[in-house]
Amino acid sequence: MITDESLLLRTLVELADNLVDDFDVVELLTHLAYSSVKVLDVTAAGVMLVAPSGALQVVASSSDAMRVLELYELQADEGPCVDCYRTGEPVVNLDLGSSPKWPLFASVALAAGFRSVHALPLRLRGRTMGALNMFGASPGALGPDAAAAGQALADVATIAIIQHQVTLDAQTLNLQLSQALNSRIAIEQAKGKISQASGLDMDLAFKRLRAHARNHNLHLSQLAADVAGGAVRPDSLDRLG
Amino acid sequence: MAAERLARILAHLTAASAGAQTPGPMCQVAAEIVDVSGAGIMVLSGDVPQASLCTTGTVSALIEELQYTMGEGPCIDAHRTGTAVSEPDLGAPLTSRWPAFTPPALDAGVRAVFGFPLRLGAARVGALNLFRDRPGRLSDDQHANALVVADVIARTILTFQAHDGQWPGPSGFEADIHAVVHQAAGMVSSQLDISVGDALARLRAHAFATGRRLAEVAEDVVERRLHFDDLDRH
Repeated sequence: MITDESLLLRTLVELADNLVDDFDVVELLTHLAYSSVKVLDVTAAGVMLVAPSGALQVVASSSDAMRVLELYELQADEGPCVDCYRTGEPVVNLDLGSSPKWPLFASVALAAGFRSVHALPLRLRGRTMGALNMFGASPGALGPDAAAAGQALADVATIAIIQHQVTLDAQTLNLQLSQALNSRIAIEQAKGKISQASGLDMDLAFKRLRAHARNHNLHLSQLAADVAGGAVRPDSLDRLG
Repeated sequence: MAAERLARILAHLTAASAGAQTPGPMCQVAAEIVDVSGAGIMVLSGDVPQASLCTTGTVSALIEELQYTMGEGPCIDAHRTGTAVSEPDLGAPLTSRWPAFTPPALDAGVRAVFGFPLRLGAARVGALNLFRDRPGRLSDDQHANALVVADVIARTILTFQAHDGQWPGPSGFEADIHAVVHQAAGMVSSQLDISVGDALARLRAHAFATGRRLAEVAEDVVERRLHFDDLDRH
C-alpha cells in the first residue's frame, strides 16, 4: 500500500530531474534505493545489476550495514533476484518464513529481521539488466498499487543505466554495467579509508562520502575513486552534521 | 549458477594452468577464449609500465614493447581511462590516434587492437591487450568474454603479487565479490599508507599465510580485530 501518492509523484519528478546530461549513475541509483524505502514502505532496498560474468551484483543500497549487503551478495547465483532476472517477471511478497527454495538466503534474511522480499525487473525492450530488490519487516506488505509504483521506480533505474543510448547496443551496455559495478568497488574501498581515518562504521562512512559529494556538487563515483585512489584525503571530507 | 560465462572461463583457465610454474598460460587462454590472434598482459602502476606478465608470441610482445617505448597505444589508454578501448581497423581508423604506435604495429601485421583495463575499483593494475591479423570488431560474445577474462586476470595479478611473484597455480584464480574485502582493503591502505591495490595483495598474502578465506580475514579487519599496522610492528 502506498502511504502517500504525492510522495511517489514527487520522487519520480525528482529522479527525472536528475537524468540530465552529466549525471552519476551510481548516485542516481543510490537515491532511488533510498526513495524506494520511503515511497513503498519497505525496510531496505538495493539495485542489483548483472555483471558481464552473468553474476548479479549490488550497485546501490539504502543501507550499508554488513548484514544487508550480505543479503545481496548471497543472491549472486540464486535467490529471488536471479529468478526475476531470468524470467524478466517480478517476484513480490515472497514470505521468507515459508520459502524453502533458498534455505540459506531465507535464514540469513530472517536473522536480519526481514519477513518478505521483492524483486522487480530492470527491463527494457526485451533485455533484463538487473533487479530492484526490496525487503520488508512483515510478510505480504506490497499491494498491487505499491508493486506498480515500485516497477515505475525500477523503470527509472533502467533508463538511468542505459543513459543516452538510442539503440540498446550490447557492448556499450556491458561497459556501462562494468563501469557502475567498478564504481561500487571504489565506493567500498573509499568507505574503508574513511572508516579507518574517522572510526565511523561503514554505513556512516558512506553517508559522509555521499554528503560531501552533494555539498560540493561532485559525482559520488568520482569522489569515491579519488578517496580510494589517494587523491583526496578521507579526513578532508565534510563531517556529518 | 547464474555466472555461466565466468564458470566456463575459470574452468578453461584452471585446466590450462594445471602444473604450470608461471602465469604464462593465461595469455594463451585469453586469446583462445576471446578467439583473437594473440594476447598480452601489461602490468602498470600509476602511469608507469612495470612489466609484461605474458604474451602469446612475437607480435603480442611487440605490441607491448611499442607501448612501453612510445607511451601510447590501446593498453595505455585503457589503463588511463579505466574503460575498454577498441580499434577494429588500425589501417583505416575512424579517429586518428597513436601516431607513433600505429605504423610499426601495422608493419608487424596487426590489423585490429583492443585494450581492456585490469582494475578493481580504484586499484588499477594494468591492461589486457588483444589483437587480430584482420580488421573487424569483436562480436558481442567476444566482447563479454574479454571483459570477464580481464576481471579474472586483474584478481590473479593481485594473487601473484601476494606471493612475491611466485605463481600459486590454479588456486590463484578466484572471483569473490564480497564488499567486505574492498572495505578492508581501504582500511589496510590507510593503516600502512599503501595503495588499495597493494592492500588487496597484502590481504590475500595474509589469507594464504594463515590458511583462511579472504573474506574472513577482511571481516576481522573491518571489525577491528585485526590491524595490519600491528602486524608490521611485530
